[in-house]
Amino acid sequence: MRHPKDISRRQFLTRAGGAAIAMPSLAAILAACTKPGSETPGGSGSALDNIPIATLDNPVTLPPTQDPIAADTPIESGPLVLYNWADYIYKKVVADFEDKFGVDVQITTFNNLEEGIQKVVNGQVTPDVFVPTPGYLRRLVAKDLLQPLQHDLIPNMSNVWPSYSNPGPYYDLGWNYSVPYTIYTWGVAYNRDRVPDDSAAQQGWEMLWNHDYAGEISLYDSYGDTIAITILRNGSLDVNTQDPQVIDAAKQAILQTINDNQARLTINGVYAKLPAGDYTVAEAWSGDIVGAQWYLPNGVGTDILGYWKPEDGKTMIGNDLLVVPTVSQNPRLAHEFINFMLDEKEGTENFTQWNGYQPPFTSIQPDTLVKDGIVPDTLTSAVVTEDMFKKDLTPYELPPEIDQLWLDAWTEIKAGA
Amino acid sequence: MSVAVTPETPARGFRGYFRNPWRKPRFLQATTIGYLLWSMLPVLIAVIFSFNEGRSRAAWQSFGLRWWTADPTDSLLHDAEIRAAMVQTFRLSILTVIIAVPLGTLFAIGIDRWHGRPARTANFTMLLSFVVPEIILGVSLYILFTSLFKNIIPLGTNAQLLGLVAYQVSYPVIIVRARLLSIGPEYEEAAMDLGSTPNQAIRRVLLPLLTPAIFASIALVFADSVDDFVTVQALSAGSTSQTLAMKIYSAARSSPTPEVNAAATMMLVTTLLVITGGVLFYKKFSKGQELGGATDFAQL
Amino acid sequence: MPEIATETTAPVEQEQAEEPRRRRRRRRDHPDASEERSGVWYPRWYWPSFVAPGALALIFLFILPFYVVFSVAFGTVDFNNFGTAVPYYAPWWWSFNTFNTTLKQFYVGSHIYQAPLFRTFEYVIAASIICLVLGYAVAYYTARFATRYKGLILILLVSPFWISYLMRIYAWQGLLDTDGPINKILAPIGFGHTNFLEGKSITIILGLVYGYIPFMILPIYASLDRIQESLLEAGRDLGGSGAQTFWRVTLPLSRPAILAGIVIVTLPMFGDYYTNDLLGSTKTSMFGNLISQQTEATAGATRAASLVLILSVIVLVPMMYYLRETKRQVEQA
Repeated sequence: MRHPKDISRRQFLTRAGGAAIAMPSLAAILAACTKPGSETPGGSGSALDNIPIATLDNPVTLPPTQDPIAADTPIESGPLVLYNWADYIYKKVVADFEDKFGVDVQITTFNNLEEGIQKVVNGQVTPDVFVPTPGYLRRLVAKDLLQPLQHDLIPNMSNVWPSYSNPGPYYDLGWNYSVPYTIYTWGVAYNRDRVPDDSAAQQGWEMLWNHDYAGEISLYDSYGDTIAITILRNGSLDVNTQDPQVIDAAKQAILQTINDNQARLTINGVYAKLPAGDYTVAEAWSGDIVGAQWYLPNGVGTDILGYWKPEDGKTMIGNDLLVVPTVSQNPRLAHEFINFMLDEKEGTENFTQWNGYQPPFTSIQPDTLVKDGIVPDTLTSAVVTEDMFKKDLTPYELPPEIDQLWLDAWTEIKAGA
Repeated sequence: MSVAVTPETPARGFRGYFRNPWRKPRFLQATTIGYLLWSMLPVLIAVIFSFNEGRSRAAWQSFGLRWWTADPTDSLLHDAEIRAAMVQTFRLSILTVIIAVPLGTLFAIGIDRWHGRPARTANFTMLLSFVVPEIILGVSLYILFTSLFKNIIPLGTNAQLLGLVAYQVSYPVIIVRARLLSIGPEYEEAAMDLGSTPNQAIRRVLLPLLTPAIFASIALVFADSVDDFVTVQALSAGSTSQTLAMKIYSAARSSPTPEVNAAATMMLVTTLLVITGGVLFYKKFSKGQELGGATDFAQL
Repeated sequence: MPEIATETTAPVEQEQAEEPRRRRRRRRDHPDASEERSGVWYPRWYWPSFVAPGALALIFLFILPFYVVFSVAFGTVDFNNFGTAVPYYAPWWWSFNTFNTTLKQFYVGSHIYQAPLFRTFEYVIAASIICLVLGYAVAYYTARFATRYKGLILILLVSPFWISYLMRIYAWQGLLDTDGPINKILAPIGFGHTNFLEGKSITIILGLVYGYIPFMILPIYASLDRIQESLLEAGRDLGGSGAQTFWRVTLPLSRPAILAGIVIVTLPMFGDYYTNDLLGSTKTSMFGNLISQQTEATAGATRAASLVLILSVIVLVPMMYYLRETKRQVEQA
């Protein structure tokens, strides 16, 4: 009779086997449990970690992380993945590109750039062409997420304002990584039936805080833009402020208009809702209000669309970029796409038929835009000229700690406290 | 049934109505009809508006098939993105059903028969996964797939499938378990007394008895996966893993057109066809066993 | 469960003799160890093998992610890499700074999260009560009185399960628009220009009710359906009025189903964020919106994970109570 306390041979083997399996895996787990960040730093080259933040006074050349693709790389068969803002490119232009090169284009969209950047950074989306703003360019390059452009494959760059290629924009001297997609200013779009032009010009940014328009006000659901214009409204000109008090004052002002005037945070309110009459005033990029003319309901003319922008020197101006990520599976095709969008005919068609955002082409003369009826004459203020870039305010990338202050303010706004 | 009327209180008039124990339940009837109308009308209106010729989904202009076939870029027929989203939705739902229902059914059978602390823990965890708010599951899976499993399982269809299975596997467990509670082990034991092996007993005796519950879980898991939004959005990557629910959500937040109504109607009709087909198939297949599966879900 | 008295066959006796310790332990644990007395022999790994695949799925897709959430919440973010999360998997590295800060934002200082938290409770409780009262009424009618149209009503009651929740809320978005049908109907009364979608609590509450009430109706209907008419007649025969019969007979009999319905409806509502996204604004933001906003924000991963943990604790209490109740009911069954 076996003593109950004796373990059977089977039990012993099972337990020993279990321990044998567990030991190495335990060791592996312990080995993997070194505190992250305690590994020796080395990374992909110290030059990348030290790229300074670019400003107009201190332009920056982004160092090439790798060689651009050879000019004779064969064109891949696609499909080309374009990661872009929602409603930001004319589908017919995309279809033309598809026909010309015999490939498919898949457009994935984001509703705000933060979300878009996050998805590219953690690999959720692996685009061939991406549309960020200059403020993210340094960090994307520093993390080796973008590949340098092969200039020989983008001859249409000559259609763009020369300052973008020689010497290049302040954030990317020598246009190593980016080409401009569109240019725009910040302002307030308003319904001219409800807000007379002179009243709009007199109120300026206050239109978005005017209780008469309660329930019909729209602000952008984007922390950088809305906080920046509120800083302007509060009287400061430092749209890249690092002063916590200025940020706090902006936060309070935004909360006030949300709570008292039921201001809504949207991303497409200007073109989707304002022409239809849902909104009376809206924070707007200039391209949004020009594009709104194609969203007007039947029977409503473009003369109800108005755009106010601050006087010279007090308005913000910026541009969007086309870049090619490192993970792109079709880099040659991506270059072709960028070249295609810089083509005079295609880029202008994108702008004049659907997008509303002006590309910085030399062939586009601001004075003829209104004369030819591309931009309604009530929206002359929405036209962007090259000299504006010298006079007006440019939003820059913020240092991480300051960025965190802005983000915290925005968190409070979104929490609806 | 005759009305019991005492001599003092005739059951007539307003107060008499309330005294009559067998009165017609007018309030409840009105409430129910009101609820059903409130529940169904918005969906009907959304379906009708998908045939709106105009751009609005709230202001009717005229009848037209613009958003179904006519519009060259934005109609259901011509918009490849929406069609891809529908395909993705069905792909995920069918795969989820194929994986989750067998997993859940086996789990339920095992839990019901296996007594012991591990069994109770497993059961507890399964019930926990049923009641947890989906955002917790979605965000935690997202964090898992972007950190620990970063290069093992990329975000996208695979991740979405795993997320859906995780969320849906508790449905069949609950439904099958409820049915098992009323079946008991005697049928299998009788079968084994008559000479079958345990596997045969399960396959030939227990599973047929469970067929109503299994069908109910297939229907519920399918419908719930088609509709699922939080998990698939958290685990999506790029346009190929967009489902219709995500498209409806992003359209609803930006600029909705009746094309979305048309796509949603399409999904509605397809799901209805699938479920009706399943019910008919089941009825023909089972020849008369009661179809009480849906209410088994209630027996938690 | 009725027990079948079968003869113990020789192999079973042998097995029982060989492993006396195991058998004695099982008998102590289970008052109704029917498989012993039944004489049917299953290998020891038989039932666990049924449970294993589902259990593995749970471990890898439910428990493990939860641990990773802990790791991220008590980890840090890499400010040089767009604020992506850096999880600390080993518990001894855990840092509780962000978690404490997030927790403090509920009750200390500017307590920016306090309003959404209270709002969430407010909406969920209000919506649950409406769901319960309305759902019970509908279920009661369908179970007891709707003889002719019962099938049709049941089909209509079940249909929300396979109509996409998003589509139903989207349909409401269209109806509540300023130029939509609801405003047109209200125009003669003078309320024709109400903007229901600008951030009104009532819109959110009704939206939640609309979305979740089918989950309340069906369990209650099933339980009411099973109540035998004879019990109610007995109540009445013993002198109770309609109301008393309802209160003392029907309601207690349907109590498990009410509990189940409340749990299935209330707990998911705590994490709901898309109802507010579609029907409300930041003024009506709920707890789920806080989480979804932080998952999209730069450097928000630790905060999102912390909020997930806090939400889990909030729903854990009712979850535990419910699970204890069901276990008790199963044992009583």
